[in-house]
Formats: sequence, C-alpha cells, structure tokens
Amino acid sequence: MVLAFDPSLFVDQLTAGLTLGAVYALIALGYTMIYGILKLLNFAHGDVYMVGAYVGYFVLTGLGGPLAPRLPLVPLILLMFLVAMLGCGLLGVVIERFAYRPLRNAPRIAPLITALGISFFLESSAQLLFGAQIRSYDTFSLHNGVLLFKGIHTTIWGVRFDLSLVRIVVIVSAVVLMIALTLLVNRTALGKAMRATSYDREAAAMMGIDVDRVIVATFFIASALAGAAGVMVGLVFFQVSNFMGFQAGLKAFTAAVVGGIGNIPGAMLGGFLVGIAEAFAEGYWSSEFKDVIVFGLLIVFLLLRPTGLLGTPAIQKV
Amino acid sequence: MRSRAGFALLLAAGVAVVTAAIAAAATDGSRAQQAGAVAEKASCKHPAIGMSAPITGPAGSIGSDQYHWAKYYVNKWNKAHRTFRVTLKQFDDQIDPAKAATGAQQFASDSSVLAVIGPAGSQQVIAASPIYKRAGLAFVSGSATRVSLTDGSLKGYFFRDVPNDGIQGPSDVTYALNHLGVKSNDHVMLVDDSEAYGTGLRDIMKPLFEAKGVKVDTESVAQTDTDFTAIVNKTAKDKVVFLLTQIATQSQQFAQQMKEKGRTAIVFGSDGSFDSAKFNVNGSYVSFFAPDVTTLAASASVVNGFYAAFGHSTTPFGAPNFVVAQLEINAIKAACKDGKVSRGEVRKLIAKTNLRSTVLGVSVKFTGNGDVVGDKFFIFKIVNGKYVVVG
Repeated sequence: MVLAFDPSLFVDQLTAGLTLGAVYALIALGYTMIYGILKLLNFAHGDVYMVGAYVGYFVLTGLGGPLAPRLPLVPLILLMFLVAMLGCGLLGVVIERFAYRPLRNAPRIAPLITALGISFFLESSAQLLFGAQIRSYDTFSLHNGVLLFKGIHTTIWGVRFDLSLVRIVVIVSAVVLMIALTLLVNRTALGKAMRATSYDREAAAMMGIDVDRVIVATFFIASALAGAAGVMVGLVFFQVSNFMGFQAGLKAFTAAVVGGIGNIPGAMLGGFLVGIAEAFAEGYWSSEFKDVIVFGLLIVFLLLRPTGLLGTPAIQKV
Repeated sequence: MRSRAGFALLLAAGVAVVTAAIAAAATDGSRAQQAGAVAEKASCKHPAIGMSAPITGPAGSIGSDQYHWAKYYVNKWNKAHRTFRVTLKQFDDQIDPAKAATGAQQFASDSSVLAVIGPAGSQQVIAASPIYKRAGLAFVSGSATRVSLTDGSLKGYFFRDVPNDGIQGPSDVTYALNHLGVKSNDHVMLVDDSEAYGTGLRDIMKPLFEAKGVKVDTESVAQTDTDFTAIVNKTAKDKVVFLLTQIATQSQQFAQQMKEKGRTAIVFGSDGSFDSAKFNVNGSYVSFFAPDVTTLAASASVVNGFYAAFGHSTTPFGAPNFVVAQLEINAIKAACKDGKVSRGEVRKLIAKTNLRSTVLGVSVKFTGNGDVVGDKFFIFKIVNGKYVVVG
C-alpha cells in the first residue's frame, strides 16, 4: 500500500484510469444502448469487443504485421478501426437477427440466458478459429514504437507527466466516438426513433417507426463501438485472447450500472469512474483488491442507487 | 420503483452466475457418467494413460501445447510398437482445481488408466491428489512446481520432471543479490499470478530478500489481466521487478509497459516467462530449469517432428510432458513384461525411472519424494531478443 502522497504517481494512476475507463465506457455504451431499446442485458457484448480486437489484429498482420507494416501509421490505424467496427457491427446485427429477435416477446429471462450462450459460443468459436495462444499487436515494434515512446513526457512543477501517444489516441478517439454517438442520438432522425423506441416500443411502432430497423441500427452501432474498444485495447495493452471479453464485459456492465443503465452520458461517466477506481485501487491499495473495489461499486450501487448516477427512476403505472 | 429496477439487475447478475455454474456442472457430470460407462478392465492389451491439462481456458495455450507434446510421444510410441499400443485419454481441467478433481475421478474410475500426466498447475495437483492417491494412480506433472507437493505427503504417487520453486526462488534471489546489484535498503517488486505457482514462489523469495534488508513490494495479477499500467506506475523505486507468472506474453507486456513509462528497473521473469518468441524485451532476465528445447541440437529432430505434426509453435511447458509420457509408458511396458499389470506396479516402476538423456537436455531420475534428482535452474539474459545463459 502506498501511504505518502506522490503527485507524479497520482497523475500516472489517473492517466491509467482514464485509458482503461475510455475502453470500459465504449463497451458500456453498447450495454446501455441495447438495454435502453430492448431492456436486455447483452452479456455477449464483451465478446463482440473480443472479436473486434481480433479483427484489428488480423488487419494489422494482413498488412505486413507490426514489424513491417505496408501502410503508414495513421491510415493503418484508421483501417484497423474501420474494419473492426464494420465487422463487429455486422456481427451485432447477425446476433440480433438470429439470437434475440425470435425471443423478443419471450419472458425476459430467455434472451438473458441466450446472451450468456452467445457469449460462450463466441469465446469458444474464437479459440477454435484463432487458436488458444495469446496474440499481440506488438505496439512496441509498430513503426518503431512511436505510439508508445512519443506523447507527453514532461515535468511541470516537479510533477512528472507521462502520457504516451497511444493513450492519447485511445482517450481522444473514445471521447470523439462518444460525442458522435450523443449527436446521433440527439440530433438525427434515427436518434429520435431510437429514443422513441426506448421510451415505448409499441407506441413507436404505431407512430410509424420501423422498430426492427431501429433495433438493428442500435445493435450495429453498439457493436461497432465495442469493435473500436477492442482495437484500442489491442493497441494500448497489446494482448488479444479469446478470454478477454468476459472480464471486460463485466467491468463495462458495472460501468453501465454505475452511470445508470440505459443512460448514454451515464455509461460514459460510469466507464471513466470504473477505470479510475480500478487504477487507483491498484495503485494506492493493492492489485489484489482492484476487482473487489470495482465489483464492490456494483453491489453498492445496486443496493443504494440502482438507477445509477445519471439514471432516473422508472415510473410504472399501477 | 427504484427497488424493482435494482432487483431486476440483481436477478440478472444472479442468473448469469447460476447459469455459468449449471453449465459447468452439467458438463462435468456428463463426463463423469461417460467415464463410468466406458470403464474398462486394467490389462496389458488396452493400456491407457490419462492427461489432465488446461486445454481451454485462460491457460489454454499452455495446456494444448502440453497435450500436443504428450500426444506426440504416444503417437511415436504407437507407431514403433504396433503390438503394444497405448491410448492417451485427455481431460480438460481449464486450470480449475474443481475441474481437475472431476478429471481425477474420471481417471480413477476408468480402470484402463494406469498412470496420469498432470495436472499442470500446483493448485490443480492439490485438488486432485486425494482422488489419485485413493485410486492408487501415479500422477506425474510436467509443470507443477510448488514446493509442498513433494513434502512427502504424496510420496510414491506424485512425481514431477521439473525442478520445484524451492530451487528456482533462491536461485533468482541469489542472482539478483550477487549480479544485479540488489543490496540492503534497495526496493524490489514481486508480481505473482494469484495462483499457487506465483504465490508459492513469492512466499519463498520475499523472506530471502527481507533477510538481506531488501524492501519488498508484492503485487498480484490474474492470468486474464491485460493491463499492468497501475502496477508499473509503482515501480519507480524498484531495482528489480520479478514477474512470477505462467504466461510469457504477460511478462512481455509488463516489460514493454515499463519501457513505455520510462522505468529503469530490471525485469526478471520466472520459468513461466521462458519463451523467447513471446518474452524478448532486451535487458530482461529469465530463469528456467533446462536449456531451451528448441535450441538444443540433440533434440532438433524431435522438435522438428513436433512442428511437422502440430504446427511451428510451442511453449517451454510443452516438452516436459513428452518426457512424462515417455517415462509412464516405459513403466507400463515394463510392468506388462509378465502379461499382467496393476496401478501399484506402474507406480513403483515410475519411481525407479532413470532416463539418462531426454529431449529436455537433462537426465530424469526421481528422489524418494518425487522430485527430479540434481535439478537446478539456469539464469538467462535477453540480448537482441535471444536468451543467453549468464548463471
């Protein structure tokens, strides 16, 4: 346990938490969007993120790998994001079409169990298709490690700031995606349809909204965000394995609950809070307790404030 | 209404956990039933060895490699001995102690199984050992290194062809004190993997350092962890960071994140990190019980044969299982000389194993408690991505 206050360590843990939080926030957005529309806890969402990480990896290796990439850095990373987001978006649509749509009017427990089944299915399929070994983006070697060694490395008033380029990319692109999503939901016709469907699916259908299309679009967007998170994790933490989705999915679920499940700004806030809580628990207490802290947060919120920080209590007509 | 929403989420979380547990239990249960149904009589006509390894799960890359090496030996044997073929029966314990115990029960009730390879992890050995002991089965691990496994309580039943952590821990500490400039009042960090492997090593190394006045910070990671930044941030004062994990890619990532943050502590991996393809950050150190099998000229044909059969990739945890399969099958063959065989006879013959040369580049003979005679650890430094012996 660290007792003496060290401002440099504080900044280090804060940036570590923000990086982790950005990833959790993107996954949590997917949880929250799907919950908002279908009232479904899509436990397969973490595994969609895992698939995104693999897609990014295969784009990278397909274009020469980290040691000899055939594209300059920026287009390479953009392409990795694009293909992973597109691939995961389509995967989300397929999951919705074949696993959840047939159960749309079933009791809520049925799609929940299906979601767990899809999660196991994706995990095992990834192992069968890609093998059990852990793959690495090897950002360390990619374009001579420019993403790791460039960035902000300076000392101000005796406080050391170390924020590598890859972390800046992750945090900034997560924030950009979140802003884009907020604009989409609040300023476009699709967003309006999403909000209407989320508010009352049947009434929305009666108003002429194609609810099926809205749900498909929601799955596509939510899964694309998970795909982006997968590439981010690959770039910043290097490792990709078929088991990476489950734990991250649980943390993102926690983030969604903390922020207020069904609430988009809440998911972002929850993601960053969970990431920062995890980094600070690890940095100031012990790495052994980081999960205790994170899942402790989940329990505390479920017991004391189940609507989360930004969620509003559901009013039910009786 | 707030409490209803909370209840719904709690229910959802509960359902998730219960469903996962039911799925796991159902799988185990059906496997156990299957085992009972196909139980065969022990005989020299259809001898079998069992293998408990984490074929899937977080350590799947290690377990599947271990299985491939054992399978490779069995295939070679069966090709060369058409009148004395041996079956390898595998159980995927997913590096889960509860599953390892289920696997042990499965092999115990299958009388064709005369000896077992594994389990791979110390925690799984501890969970499965009462069952193997009750069934009279010898079980030989190619990777479980916790010291207490060979304290005499499993004498005559449990063996391992790799040195234990009682050798590794002190070797690493001594090297750090004598060659890496660690002295009294210096700081070191021990990062374990939250498993019997890493925590066992940590418990050996910590008092040794503290006895020399070295300040020790201990941290733990999980095998599924992919971000070590928060721990790396705490290494500013450390002279050496020991990574006591079983997954080389985690050590690689840790060392790379150290570089990213500009940390100067030396990274020192335990044998779990020994894999030059996956852990190769220059200036790091790693300890291992044998030379790298893929670099041994004497083992080249065996290694190439393995690559041809299972693809051009292996881990350091694989080849010891080739040797375990070898010594178990040799024991079964010797026991079958008179046409009869029992698990007890196989156990006694395994205890008398004396392989003067193996694919590992070292001889294998067991002490009374099941450890390898004359075992020692080598220290390697990573220079230009290659492992160079330095101690």
